[in-house]
Amino acid sequence: MFFGPRRFWGDNPFKSSYEAVIIGGGVHGLATAYYLARDHGLTDVAVIERRYIGYGGAGRNTAIVRANQRTPENVRLYSEGLKLWPELIDELDFNLMFFDCGNLNLAHSEAGMGAFRLQVATAQFMGVRSELLDAKQCQELVPLLDISDRPKYPILGGMYHPPGGTVRHDAVVWGLARGAWARGVHIHQQTEVTGIDTADGRVTGVRTTRGNIRTPKVLIATGAYGAQTARLVGIRLPIQVLTIQAMVSQPLKPFLHHVVSSGTYHCYCHQSLKGELVTGAHMDPWPNYTTQVTAEYLKHQAEALTDLMPALKSLKFMRIWSGLADMTPDMAPIIDGNDPVEGLYLDCGWGYFGFKSGPITGRYLARFMVEECCPDILQPFSLKRYRENRLMGEISTPPNYGPWN
Amino acid sequence: MSFTITCPICGKRNLYEFRFGGEDRGPRPEETDLTPETWAQWAMMNDNVSGIQKEWWYHRDGCGAWFTVLRDTCTNREMENGTRPHDAENPASNGQGRPYPPFVDRL
Ligand SMILES: Cc1cc2nc3c(=O)[nH]c(=O)nc-3n(C[C@H](O)[C@H](O)[C@H](O)COP(=O)(O)OP(=O)(O)OC[C@H]3O[C@@H](n4cnc5c(N)ncnc54)[C@H](O)[C@@H]3O)c2cc1C
Ligand SMILES: [Zn+2]
Repeated sequence: MFFGPRRFWGDNPFKSSYEAVIIGGGVHGLATAYYLARDHGLTDVAVIERRYIGYGGAGRNTAIVRANQRTPENVRLYSEGLKLWPELIDELDFNLMFFDCGNLNLAHSEAGMGAFRLQVATAQFMGVRSELLDAKQCQELVPLLDISDRPKYPILGGMYHPPGGTVRHDAVVWGLARGAWARGVHIHQQTEVTGIDTADGRVTGVRTTRGNIRTPKVLIATGAYGAQTARLVGIRLPIQVLTIQAMVSQPLKPFLHHVVSSGTYHCYCHQSLKGELVTGAHMDPWPNYTTQVTAEYLKHQAEALTDLMPALKSLKFMRIWSGLADMTPDMAPIIDGNDPVEGLYLDCGWGYFGFKSGPITGRYLARFMVEECCPDILQPFSLKRYRENRLMGEISTPPNYGPWN
Repeated sequence: MSFTITCPICGKRNLYEFRFGGEDRGPRPEETDLTPETWAQWAMMNDNVSGIQKEWWYHRDGCGAWFTVLRDTCTNREMENGTRPHDAENPASNGQGRPYPPFVDRL
């Protein structure tokens, strides 16, 4: 019998005070709420979402997860994050469709191979599986790859990271929302935070389109709008907001069993469990707050994909969408708290990296917010690293990752 | 969707001829007594304006000129020369645009 659609979480009254308010119903905000309730018994928590949960990057990303970043500080966090998925599926009792198919990054130059050597060494040092492959080995993994000299940028080799893969992004949002709500967290959608109140250097509350809330703790987890939200309390952040586009093709029978990416071609793809080729592009090279898509990027993707895998010629794209990426100069997030405003926590600047790290960051942030002392693993990501010249070197380009890179 | 940028020398051209050069941060701070805070503020922090901002562009595939443009980051439209950021749309604003970008869904 059909009972009609049912939401996984219910409505709650809008209260005028909470012990903690989380701004932003994305994967980071919901995960923090979930762990506040689960690990610390802090259930008097509201998640305030301007539109609907998953409206931001959480529902627009290409669902790729991995733990082979470049710097040890990042690898440590992402690696714990990657190990968390099976655990989370179990305890949320929700199928997040974790598919550890492995990630293959392609290199098209000696310099690219050199960068991978460093990255593989870091991963191995941190106990994360990652290895260098030659072109032939890449083709063994992905038979459709053209490893001849024909492509504009011939494939020299690759970096293979078996434990990575994909996770169903909507399921993560819904599962965490249900888990948090079931433990008492209130989720208020269609509600925008328009102001953050402070007194004597402490947070005292937030103003919303549905009324004011008194609270001693506020987490800014507004994704691409993080810089806007921080400015409500006068904090400027080193963030550029860029549109990033993604698209899916018509479904095909299974042919691609790994996530494949190429920095040189600015293109990555994987095949969804439904058979569609899910592919993402580089960011649009100018900051903006639109979610516009461009013919240029469709063309770019088509050219890049068919250069790498000529058999994909005549494949049709079905839909294209975009989301916003909040890029920092060192491509690492900004996670901070109690500085300079007591009770105010920041979790933003994730760029196009922040889906895979959502639950693990939420778990540590929840601890941070309760114990008011930053856990070791999050310390490298403080905002003050920029004025202390401790940029994290996640990329091998000059330390100013912006639209011009 | 694409848009145009008006080069003071070549006129209105396709966006893809240009390279974005950052939001206008004002003059570089004096080096005497420069603190890491002041430097980081100038070199790295942004206003992230959602609305009209003054920014630098470079006519890469054209005459090679650097120049400033006023552009609405919520629509990608260039503004008339002479429009000051706080004139348009929101007279009460401090030149930093809307506190939040409007919903421009074109999905
Ligand atoms: C096309 C694309 C592909 C990507 N691919 C990947 C990938 O493969 N792997 C990966 O790890 N990451 C990927 N990312 C990045 C990832 O999606 C983001 O980093 C991540 O979603 C950030 O999560 P979040 O919870 O911080 O923010 P979001 O999910 O963006 O949530 C923020 C929420 O805050 C709300 N909000 C904003 N302002 C207010 C306010 N004032 N009041 C109330 N609510 C507010 C927004 O509506 C939004 O729902 C991709 C991103 C895009 C756009
Ligand atoms: Zn010109």
